[in-house]
Amino acid sequence: MSSVLVNDKAELPVLRSGLGLPRPDRFVGVRDWMTTVDHKKIGVMYGAAACFFFLVGGVEALTIRTQLARPMQHIITAQLYNQLFTMHGTTMIFLGVMPLSAAFFNFVVPLQIGARDVAFPRLNAFSLWTFFAGASLLNVSWFLQVLNIIGILNPVDGRTDIVPGGGWFGYASLTERPYTGIGTDVWVLSLQILGVASLAAAFNFIATIINLRAPGMTMMRLPVFCWMTLVTSFLIIFAFPPITIALGELLFDRTFQTNFFRVEGGGQPIFWQHLFWVFGHPEVYILVLPAMGIVSEVLPTFSRKPLFGYPIIVFSGAVIGLLGFAVWSHHMFATGLGKVATAAFSLLTMAIAVPTGVKIFNWVGTLWGGRIRYTVPMIFSLGFVWMFMLGGFSGIMHSAAPADAEQHDSYFIIAHFHYVLLGGILLGLLSGIYYWVPKIFGKMMNQKLGYWVAGMVIVGFNVTFGPMHYLGLIGMTRRTYTYLGDKGWNDWNMVCTIGAYILGLGVFLCFMDLLVTVFSKNRACGPDPWNARTLEWSLPSPVPAYNFTRLPIVSTRDAWWMDKHAGIPIEYDQADVSHGVHMPSQSWMPMGAGFGFFMFGIGIVLMSAGIPYCGYLAITGLATVTFFIYLWALEGPGGYHLAVPAEATPPSPTPARSHTPVSAGHH
Amino acid sequence: MSAEVHHLSHAELLDQENKRYHAFINLALFLSVFTGVEIVVIFLPFPPVVLFTTLITVSLVKFVCVILWFMHLIYDAPLLLILFVGGMLLAAGTMVALLNLLARSDVDPAVLHDSGVVIHSATRVDGTSIS
Amino acid sequence: MSDAAVIAHADDSHAPAEAHAEHPTATGIDTKKLLMWLFLASDCMFFGTLISTHLVYRKVYPYGSNEKGIIDIIKTFDIQLTSFSTFILLMSSFLMALAVSAMHKGQIKSFRRACIGVMIFGLIFLTGQVYEFTHFFDGHALYTFSVKTPQGETISSTYEGPADQVRAKADLARRLYAEHSDWMALPATATAEEKALTPAAQLKLHPDWMVTAMKQVKVEKPSLSMQNSVFGSTFFLMTGTHGCHVAIGVLWLASMYLYSFTGRMQKNMHGAAIDIEIAGLYWHFVDIVWIVIFTAVYLVEYIPGYNPTQ
Repeated sequence: MSSVLVNDKAELPVLRSGLGLPRPDRFVGVRDWMTTVDHKKIGVMYGAAACFFFLVGGVEALTIRTQLARPMQHIITAQLYNQLFTMHGTTMIFLGVMPLSAAFFNFVVPLQIGARDVAFPRLNAFSLWTFFAGASLLNVSWFLQVLNIIGILNPVDGRTDIVPGGGWFGYASLTERPYTGIGTDVWVLSLQILGVASLAAAFNFIATIINLRAPGMTMMRLPVFCWMTLVTSFLIIFAFPPITIALGELLFDRTFQTNFFRVEGGGQPIFWQHLFWVFGHPEVYILVLPAMGIVSEVLPTFSRKPLFGYPIIVFSGAVIGLLGFAVWSHHMFATGLGKVATAAFSLLTMAIAVPTGVKIFNWVGTLWGGRIRYTVPMIFSLGFVWMFMLGGFSGIMHSAAPADAEQHDSYFIIAHFHYVLLGGILLGLLSGIYYWVPKIFGKMMNQKLGYWVAGMVIVGFNVTFGPMHYLGLIGMTRRTYTYLGDKGWNDWNMVCTIGAYILGLGVFLCFMDLLVTVFSKNRACGPDPWNARTLEWSLPSPVPAYNFTRLPIVSTRDAWWMDKHAGIPIEYDQADVSHGVHMPSQSWMPMGAGFGFFMFGIGIVLMSAGIPYCGYLAITGLATVTFFIYLWALEGPGGYHLAVPAEATPPSPTPARSHTPVSAGHH
Repeated sequence: MSAEVHHLSHAELLDQENKRYHAFINLALFLSVFTGVEIVVIFLPFPPVVLFTTLITVSLVKFVCVILWFMHLIYDAPLLLILFVGGMLLAAGTMVALLNLLARSDVDPAVLHDSGVVIHSATRVDGTSIS
Repeated sequence: MSDAAVIAHADDSHAPAEAHAEHPTATGIDTKKLLMWLFLASDCMFFGTLISTHLVYRKVYPYGSNEKGIIDIIKTFDIQLTSFSTFILLMSSFLMALAVSAMHKGQIKSFRRACIGVMIFGLIFLTGQVYEFTHFFDGHALYTFSVKTPQGETISSTYEGPADQVRAKADLARRLYAEHSDWMALPATATAEEKALTPAAQLKLHPDWMVTAMKQVKVEKPSLSMQNSVFGSTFFLMTGTHGCHVAIGVLWLASMYLYSFTGRMQKNMHGAAIDIEIAGLYWHFVDIVWIVIFTAVYLVEYIPGYNPTQ
């Protein structure tokens, strides 16, 4: 670590790492963003990528809905339809929701726990760049497909599905070599790479939340969003290994003709289903818990009351995480598991509804008796509580295995999971966007447009997925690219498509507003526009590079609120900061390693396509990863010191709100 | 543990490490003996239930000993033990569940061939063996 | 602060202890160590899934395959070699604990000795694995000859012969002839010269004249490969992944060994001790996974009743 002290990192002299190479700390602009290890910038990049891929997934969805608007249409081919629903699912889950959650984890968690950064900043950057590698690999398949259509790329197996088309769940035996083309290899490898990224991030966040809390920030004073981040990270580290193995076994089946799922060799395809859903079910809790965490922050803020039943909400979150590993076969009720297994999983699935219901009651308890402000984030969070509950109702209907026998593989299931995904997760994440953008960028989004967005999204998604409950029960099956016109499905499908366009417009407007906000000059707001409760709002907006001038010493839950309104001021660590605050050095190595993963993935895909020498490309990719990891280890963490302002306390809260009398909170 | 080590004097540190050194030697001998026991016992004429129990117990003991002593968990903060044991229990539970979910009766009988089992020795008509 | 105070130490030579170790952690546990334990907890699920795959398929296919080709696992396994490898890995774990202990005491030379020991033992283990796998892959052929006696009985004998089955058959015939020369039967197609030969010479030329019918029914013990059976697929993926983990561990230790000569470790013995301890945790984990694999994959096959072919 260097003792160099500067006011602004652009003033740094050339610092050299343990390898003798210059460190990229001095850069501003694009090279700064490429080498940054700052959790805030990394969060912004995750968020930008997530919003982009949400739109990509949305276009895929709208194409599906357009195809299904009327019976017997052939706007797109059946193969393209399969590829669209595969990519829509994979994109939305892995490139949309998970990175947007990661954006919030990155930006908010260190601020809420009173830390200066995450435990391993370069590992954090590695997660981001590896995520980009996986996302790029998945979507470069579209370009490869175009190359195939114009005749340049012709895989040796003669199959033309280069964009994955086997469903986001990739069931064997369909995904074996004789039945799908290199699209499946693309899917397998991108998920493996994305898995590495998620795992690295999860390890980082657990270490951060456990070890880097500010003094006095006990676990039971953590904001609920941090608790949900912790539980989600544990889910990730325990759920991703099974899918890694399953994907590896599938890849070996396809590449080396092993017999894990190949029927002709003795493999049992049902085993793929088991391994996939051992991952897949915790995955849906990985998707929803962050959104629940956001809602648990927004509701108390705009009810001007503490969260009702904090310990119970935390405990319920942990129980949901744990039970999430015990219910996976409810995705397989129609496979003939046997009476005992079916009953066991049915009961466990019903059990997991209990902690979820407890949370809903606690949120309602938070609202009850509060002085509610119907701001845009609040509308979205209220929408979450209601819509997620509806999704939960259809979910509990699935848990009864006899009922599920009818619902399975019908539109009823699509209705259920889109209610929890959109009604739940999307509304929660949009709430988070509107809530935290003022902190991230120091500017407010267009609130009036925000109400319209909320209306369009909520109405739109209800119009899209509400009728799907009915369609499912009258027999419309999933993953059918067109349908006959005499089944009574026609009108409702048209309604669903109209709803989809409304929903799409709403989301599109939101992201356009976000873009405008980021680059606008005249939407500035103060550091605490919402009169919020947690520590991040005690900092200036946008947050300075070092986060806290001095680290807070926490003595209660909702410490910032207590400081403002309950007369319990936050004390700050009195350590001498005249030498400035230590900042970790930036690095090229995580990006290099991420790029190596991309090379590995594309090498294997092209090797499967039969292009010569691509196996060497894959090996070079792995060697690149190893090489950059070695450089990463040898360069050392380095660091420099950034001068911080002399005043020990943060700027005071907006005067108009500080006189509002509130009921005293509790620890 | 390392945070505590930081606060010990050098002499105390050496003393602590030397005590642990003896623990390690004892453990290494113990592990070798137990591995030998495992290998020998499977060839002894006990009923399969006894053999299974013995194998599982012995390997569990070895597993726990390596974790607690070689991996220092007995000297470290309890949180680390909880984290690791949690992961292990989850893995074990998933394994037990999967083993109970899949059965031989689920396999299509057409792919099973119970005939064609190899005969490994032969006796002549008068009872003496050939090979 | 109006002007930047730049103290021009532009290199890391005066670097104090690692930044992570400086800040007191909320739990008192070193953050890198916490990270490694989290990784090991996750790796439990990883290997748990691999071992589950193997055990589930063993349960579903007790004969070790999809049963179109029986895998005789006991004949395939070489328990002495595997036991030796297991013992070696356990001892390498012991040496690793010594290496960590040495670093904590600040004795770099002891550390280096123990580290080399761990690496050597690790390489011995890997060599054993590679030898074992190629041995499994080569397999060996078994021939069953069905001999029908003049009394009308059929005796089958499994003969573990060399690849040259003609020689194996002749060898068996000679042995049978030594005890039952009365089983020699000249067929009608024998020429005059052949009939003039001694029975021994006849046998050498035409071992199939030994009895009225000597039919070779070849029952090959196929080599064990990833492709030719489910057992092979699950076995090799699981032990191969474990072997990769060992190899990565050896590389890691080699890097730490070489790094100990650069002089950087001595500048920050506390940090270096933590780094070695983390490498040690990884190595011990790989060892305990092997303990589980050895018991659940190798040893259980020898229990009577587990494998119906025994």
